[in-house]
Amino acid sequence: MLDRIILASALLAAVPASAQWFKVETPGTPRTADGKPNLSAPTPRGPDGKPSLNGIWQMNGKYLQNIAADMKPGEVPYQPWTEQLFNSRQNGAGGRQDPAARCIPGMPKLDALPYPFKIIESPGMVMMLFEGFTTFRQIFTDGRELPKDPNPTWFGYSVGKWEGDDWVVNTIGIKESTWLDNAGRPHSDALHLVERFQRHDFGHMDILLTIDDPKAYTKPWTVKEDVRLIPDTELLEYVCVENEKDYGHLIGK
Amino acid sequence: MHRFLTIAMLVGAASAAVDTQAQWVHYPTAGIPRTKDGKPNLYASTPRTPDGKPDLSGIWEANREGGTGVSFTGGQLPPLFTNIGAQLKGGLPYSAWGRDLFNSRLADNSKDSPDAKCLPIGILWLHSHISPRKILQLPGLVVILYERFTQFRQIFTDGRPLPADPEPSFFGYSSGKWEGDTLVVKTIGFRDDLWADFAGSPLTQYATVTERFRRPNYGNLDIELTVDDPKAYTTPWTVKLNQRILLDTELLEFICVDNEKTLPHMVGK
Repeated sequence: MLDRIILASALLAAVPASAQWFKVETPGTPRTADGKPNLSAPTPRGPDGKPSLNGIWQMNGKYLQNIAADMKPGEVPYQPWTEQLFNSRQNGAGGRQDPAARCIPGMPKLDALPYPFKIIESPGMVMMLFEGFTTFRQIFTDGRELPKDPNPTWFGYSVGKWEGDDWVVNTIGIKESTWLDNAGRPHSDALHLVERFQRHDFGHMDILLTIDDPKAYTKPWTVKEDVRLIPDTELLEYVCVENEKDYGHLIGK
Repeated sequence: MHRFLTIAMLVGAASAAVDTQAQWVHYPTAGIPRTKDGKPNLYASTPRTPDGKPDLSGIWEANREGGTGVSFTGGQLPPLFTNIGAQLKGGLPYSAWGRDLFNSRLADNSKDSPDAKCLPIGILWLHSHISPRKILQLPGLVVILYERFTQFRQIFTDGRPLPADPEPSFFGYSSGKWEGDTLVVKTIGFRDDLWADFAGSPLTQYATVTERFRRPNYGNLDIELTVDDPKAYTTPWTVKLNQRILLDTELLEFICVDNEKTLPHMVGK
């Protein structure tokens, strides 16, 4: 387990340290009397009264390593084959099976990378720009339905809508080879992800992530992932395949 | 030219791992101006944002008219794809160093092409790449979402100055401002080893790239590129390209490293 985490961390560490507009004042940031960003200021809202999710965010890194970090032993409702596969991946034994080890980003780990991502709301679509892999998700908010029989992709197909102050994103069509976390929890092609974005104040947001995958788990299960706003900065460029040296050191089939 | 075709086939093999069927691929684009017979009117007037500026937003495809060379799908390659200097009399004004590097890339069968290695190919080459890109123009920011390798570029239009000593990157650092109806974008901070086109024309850390984006009507995006790179070229040079609006569709997902089989077949030193 630890080996796996260390290897994954090494893989993800190839980011340059200094960079572009690293210190740039984010316009519209509420500030305290001493000029510091006031991260506990109220949730900003758009013209429609809904919370605005715009900003640069970073998820608590523990969920990338272990999506069930906050759950008690025995609480993840594995189907027998999923539990077996998960167990077979321990101690780095499945290292080569994880597409991320080959620099292939995928959902749901993409949201949980320990690098910032930027949410940008635009008419009919919300973009998530990820520093990790310099890649993006498009989440359509123009009322379109999820596709009926989508071609499987690494990121899946996402639509979002408001339920009160929660922004709810439904995603299907994710390739079954992606992992839910670095620990190696699997899923099937029936995976339906529900992400419930809840911005509590200016600087804090939770994503309630529901894994609804009847082939892989006996019932839907939900984890709450905390995300914090990163003020006054900008995304860096991250290119995973450049000078990548880790894969050759990973073990497993 | 034969070499280009060979390489095009190889790169095409890398690029061919794209799924052909996809997400909402026939989803209707909202707000298309139409002619009397109901067809999209590509010559309708330029859409504008609430502040009166031309709105560059849309999915755009490199115009292939006048191009040479054939892509792996059998289509014509856009004019500047293989040689970004094709419009220039006498070709690109290479410095001695730039010419040597270009020739060595040719002699090496483009073995180290970033395209073959699934690396970003940079902003110049991306303009003439056959994969579509989506531009989103927002207050203070223009985002380009590239289908090619599912990567993005940010162009800041909030008035920030370019950084004084940027960390070299594939995409560089871009800041844009409007001059009348033209969005003028300056980019610096490139790596020293970039390729400006498929053939391997260099772009270095000393380059300033100026892009002038103009949407003359609904269906066309004109981009003028000026490259000032005293390490690779003896004088600044300017070329023009055109992109066409792509309607009723959506970007596909294109992950280059997925099942990538090309690199072991590339030959060279």
